[in-house]
Amino acid sequence: MAGMPRCSSSFRLADFRDAPLDIAASRSISLGKIGGRSTVALEAHEDPLNQSTGTAALETLLGRCADGDRAAFRQLYDRSAPQLYAVALRITRQRSLAADAVHDAFLQVWQRAGRFDPARGSAETWLISLARYRALDLVRRHGREITGDEIPDRADDAPDALALLTEQREGTALHRCLERLEIDKRQLIMMAFIDGLTHAELADRLRTPLGTVKSWIRRGLQDLRGCLEA
Amino acid sequence: MSAEPDDFDSRAAEYVLGLLSPAETERVRREIERDPALAEAVARWEARLTPLAAALPPEPPPSALWLRIEAGIDAGATVVPLRKRRLESVGFWRAATGAAMALAAGLAIVVLRTPAPAAHYAAAIAPMQGPAATWLAETRADGALVITALAAADHPSGKDLELWALAPGATKPVSLGVLPASGAYVVAAADLPRDHLQLLVSLEPAGGSPTGQPTGPVVYAGALIRAE
Repeated sequence: MAGMPRCSSSFRLADFRDAPLDIAASRSISLGKIGGRSTVALEAHEDPLNQSTGTAALETLLGRCADGDRAAFRQLYDRSAPQLYAVALRITRQRSLAADAVHDAFLQVWQRAGRFDPARGSAETWLISLARYRALDLVRRHGREITGDEIPDRADDAPDALALLTEQREGTALHRCLERLEIDKRQLIMMAFIDGLTHAELADRLRTPLGTVKSWIRRGLQDLRGCLEA
Repeated sequence: MSAEPDDFDSRAAEYVLGLLSPAETERVRREIERDPALAEAVARWEARLTPLAAALPPEPPPSALWLRIEAGIDAGATVVPLRKRRLESVGFWRAATGAAMALAAGLAIVVLRTPAPAAHYAAAIAPMQGPAATWLAETRADGALVITALAAADHPSGKDLELWALAPGATKPVSLGVLPASGAYVVAAADLPRDHLQLLVSLEPAGGSPTGQPTGPVVYAGALIRAE
């Protein structure tokens, strides 16, 4: 590769200028001197909108919201509303109900930003949870009414979500532990969490007795906790 | 006893999954406020499982949503817990003329943080072909207009219902935004006359009229009149 150091001891910063642009852009490059020898470390770097920078900034924005900063609130909305809307839409299957859930979630964000406790979890988890619970409340109350703007259910949705997890650094432990669960338990937990299905809906969907569904979920959750804490 | 800690944690996990009954869900929410151990167990499950939700591909929300949120904040709206409808009779809802009744029955999603002052003007917004009110509109002391859904509105696939105000003698209506599917909708400012202000609801493409004027048929209408 053009510009790669011929040997590490003679490597100079200038050599990097010949490196292909995509490497310079996609990796963080750190230079250090160890034992009188220059070394170079190339670290895989997450994409610019990814978690490590994103989460910190969301938390900062929440702090500014607690002080009544409307510009910070707008930024927080721009950054997180598409994710919250996707989560709510998956549960409600109706654009109007999903929009209501996100609307209510952001009113709560504005009113309760001061109650966000970073020691208890990330800002992203806090925000998604607000929208998720509100979507669950709305859909339970409306009973997935037929209003004409439903998004059709897809039986294979849950496995898709598992595949998506692998692309997320924070999701790798969860992914590994979910994969270790028996397939039925895994499916039930994921369909409950992502699609917002009740015990009865899960039993109906998987054509499994209600009692079996309840005990599988309970045992699945215990197994999952055991694996995540191991 | 080894079962107890498991039961405690299972309840927290099932709350996070959304598997508890509405009554039990409410109970957990109240307990979280005063039981730090339960709050922590719930937070731990939220942290464990949320990567699943965070991994979903983002989806752009409707463009009017931000304006609605901003209007809600300007009007001092607050979110109240949703309860199961206590009165299921459609006849009752259609007959209901007081927003207070709707609010007391847990219908509204967004209500004032302070007790609502007496309305000065109110309107029943009804389908063009029938007398039954679908929304109740009323003004508040701070000038905001509150639209409360009394019944489910007809809502064809891929369309939104947009609210317009037409002042007496005016020829062009002013958009007051896309009506939410349920609950109350607060229109903040609007330096519009109140008396005999016509409120029209038209059928528009999803997200609202692209032109700033109604593009679809007016399907619901009502006019503000002095309430007392």
